[in-house]
Amino acid sequence: MRQDLKSAAARMRGRGVAAAGWLALFAASLAVFALAAKSATVGLAPGFSETFLIAGLLPRGVFALLGGAALGLAGALLQQALRNPAADPSTLGIGAGAQLALGIATLLAPALLAGAKVLVAFAGGAAALALVLILSRRRNYDPVTMILCGLVVSLVASSLSATLILAGGDYMMSLYLWGGGALDQSGWRSDAAIGLMLGVAAPAVFLMRRPLAILSLSDESARGVGVATGAIRLAAAVLATVLATGVIASVGIVGFVGLAAANLARLSGARSASARLVAAPLIGAVLLFATDAAVLALQQLAGTTIPTGAVTALLGGPVLLWLLPRLPHRSVSTLPAPARRIRAVSLGLAALAAATAAATLVSLYLAPDGRAFLSSADLAETLMPLRWPRLVSGAAAGALLGAAGTILQRVTANPIASPEVLGISTGAGLGLAALLVIDPLAGSGPTFAAAAGGSLAALAAILAFAHAARLGPERLILGGIAVASLAGAGVTLVLSRGGPEATRLLDWMSGSTLRVTPGVAVAEALLAIVLVPLALFGHRWLAILQLGEATAIGLGISPQRAGGLLVALAAVATAAATLAVGPLSFVGLMAPHLARTVGFSRPRDQLAASALVGALLMIVTDTAARSLAFPYQLPTGLVAALVGGAYLVALVRRKAPAG
Amino acid sequence: MTAQVSQITRRAALAGLGASAFAGRVPRADAAGVAGAGRVAVVDWALLETFLALGLPPAAAPELILYRRLVVEPAVPETVADLGLRGALSFERLAMIRPDVVYGSNYSAWAAPQIERIARFRIFDLFLPGEPPLARIEAMTVAVAAECGIAGRGRGLVADGARRFAEAREALRTASAPPVLLVDVGDAGHVRVFGADSLFGDTLSRLGLENAWRGGTRYSANAPVGIERLAAFPDAFLVGVGPVPPDARRAIETGALWRALPAVAAGRFALLPPCDAFGALPAATRFAGFLTDALLHRSGRSAG
Repeated sequence: MRQDLKSAAARMRGRGVAAAGWLALFAASLAVFALAAKSATVGLAPGFSETFLIAGLLPRGVFALLGGAALGLAGALLQQALRNPAADPSTLGIGAGAQLALGIATLLAPALLAGAKVLVAFAGGAAALALVLILSRRRNYDPVTMILCGLVVSLVASSLSATLILAGGDYMMSLYLWGGGALDQSGWRSDAAIGLMLGVAAPAVFLMRRPLAILSLSDESARGVGVATGAIRLAAAVLATVLATGVIASVGIVGFVGLAAANLARLSGARSASARLVAAPLIGAVLLFATDAAVLALQQLAGTTIPTGAVTALLGGPVLLWLLPRLPHRSVSTLPAPARRIRAVSLGLAALAAATAAATLVSLYLAPDGRAFLSSADLAETLMPLRWPRLVSGAAAGALLGAAGTILQRVTANPIASPEVLGISTGAGLGLAALLVIDPLAGSGPTFAAAAGGSLAALAAILAFAHAARLGPERLILGGIAVASLAGAGVTLVLSRGGPEATRLLDWMSGSTLRVTPGVAVAEALLAIVLVPLALFGHRWLAILQLGEATAIGLGISPQRAGGLLVALAAVATAAATLAVGPLSFVGLMAPHLARTVGFSRPRDQLAASALVGALLMIVTDTAARSLAFPYQLPTGLVAALVGGAYLVALVRRKAPAG
Repeated sequence: MTAQVSQITRRAALAGLGASAFAGRVPRADAAGVAGAGRVAVVDWALLETFLALGLPPAAAPELILYRRLVVEPAVPETVADLGLRGALSFERLAMIRPDVVYGSNYSAWAAPQIERIARFRIFDLFLPGEPPLARIEAMTVAVAAECGIAGRGRGLVADGARRFAEAREALRTASAPPVLLVDVGDAGHVRVFGADSLFGDTLSRLGLENAWRGGTRYSANAPVGIERLAAFPDAFLVGVGPVPPDARRAIETGALWRALPAVAAGRFALLPPCDAFGALPAATRFAGFLTDALLHRSGRSAG
């Protein structure tokens, strides 16, 4: 009894200290904001400084508070509704979905934006969230799976957005700025809009607080006390999406504030759900305001615009690094057994190889617009030197990604794992971004080196993280997610500067084999010839790891070491492929599934088949990208992402569980 | 320039024929082309403008759909084949055009490994940080014309530009124009300011106008700044170079901050039709024409 009282008192004290800390941070940021605001008005025309203060800086400060509160509340609601402490508009794809919807509207229906910007953003965000939830349903809404699905959906949406920006031409700069989330205000309209949303949301959350708290229990017990769990979850998710997309429609993407706020609320002693629903918005407000005050001060020193949203995104990586190893683990299901099995494996593999060879020939001899075959040897002679490097490097990268994807999906027993979520390709992008900031016109040699350096750094970071956290191979991928978020924030920061370096970065990010030289193609082919057989040698480990830890140890294999080595191999293969075809392809996601669906179920057969399927997919998508809109070249990554996105949806529809 | 038209159309028509027959055999018909250079393709808009102004439409050029909307003049004949996006050139189409020489700028240098396997690739460094570009652009104009065997026409184009600049300069001097603040409007709250190392900033100095923005070297011409920075130059004439996004246009017309900017409040403000910020002499003279008009009729005219 006395013990309980004592610990309760300690908790109270802890909470008091935390609250005092947040207040102090708020006071300090107020001071910084005031000083930066004062310095921002120095030297402006006398009449204008007052207007700037009243219609620019004050609404900006208030917006940071209101927007931060809205994002904090959105994060807390999502985390409570989905029982996932890593849930956030950024990690669940809501931000990327809203960005894509607004990008499409900017280019195709600008009139729609004038009247219904919030609705457009909501539609995009809600669609992305729905897709993520449907995808993770099969795995019982396991938190890690959900974040993985969110990352995959975000990557597809961002690739589409990148292509839109490149095609946008005239309005590129506005799309860049908006992707970074600059909080500048002119008048009080955005404040009024977000204030109104919070005004509606707060009473609604208050009314829902009890059923929301009960969601922390299992669904069965919640239903036992008479709570319609489905309806409450849906209401909370919709409310959170409204709040998050409202902020996005006003100022652009402001990432990871909700994730940080809700988890910091928990750390600050808000143990119950209702306490978190109060604390998270308050902490979110302080977080965004403090970030914006720092940004405002930095802008005074740097003289250029720094988008606040890109800076808050830097919070995402560290928070995820801390959080992911602590996530509850809900799903233990392994990959579903394939419906059928191929008996004559070698015959099947030979058929795949034949199909790949046929696709290569077709791709080589198709007319540039893809509607006929080349009509003369003369023309073929002209085009061959341009075509074979693309084809060879594409096929090699496809094979590497197919093998890497198989390893990752097998080791993590997670069907959504894919090389893209390892963070290696985003790391390559960050390396390239750093180079282009220094020299926007860097040649092909230095850019290749920078991308390689970035991917190696990301690889090292993932391995170091996994080693430090003593993670099993299953969780190694978590380090990849965190690295992907961190590097992604850096890339966003560079993109929001606009200018030639941003255009070149987007060209690379949208993914294309266009720039491959014969030398790179040969190197890529050699890498595939070395790495894919190496992966095949590891097939026994893959098979044994699947039998469970005890069996593996019984057979004298350390599951940690074997799994770690396999994932490292997958990471090296991914890095090699990224350098040739850009960061995004989803071939590594699709190929293993297709190989399995066709009936290659043993690890060795699946590895070999996915490598072939990966090569085949890459040849087909690259040929389509080259010829569909000739002479305008579509990014290979975009075509692959479209195919991959459609494939994901199909996968879900086909295998949706009965209950 | 119109004197050359008849001579050009035959060549251009042949070029177009070759381009449109991509599914079939491409005749290597008129490799002769203009004396000296042979069959020419360009992969940069500054070079495209220059070739068009010289009266030599190239066989192929990139991103023509956007060029017709953003650069507008000199107009591109329908016969010029489109090479796709400047950042993702269709090397296949370029190869089928079978150019003898391809002209580009340092912005297209990334494509050198592919282009050099198709034809000779001539790269001109036009825009370098901290360097006013017009002198380099004039040198490029003369060099390109000389390589095509029409050195006289190249010198004529440069002289024509200089004459137009001088005329505008004279008109502006008598009207005693204020310092000018040139911006590219990004969104409702942000602009990029054109410094001395930009095409338009350099054109200002040719027109004898003072660029109000002296931070050219400290602030990169490419980094966006908040519009409040524009209030630090209360006496300047503010000029926005098109295109302006619809969102930003609304903000300029009704936004509290835009309306309160000293230049806008005093009517010392104009929006110009689209001009290519990374163009050559034609873009510079087009811009100079719009700017001179706006300054001589200082009433906050707004166009395009």
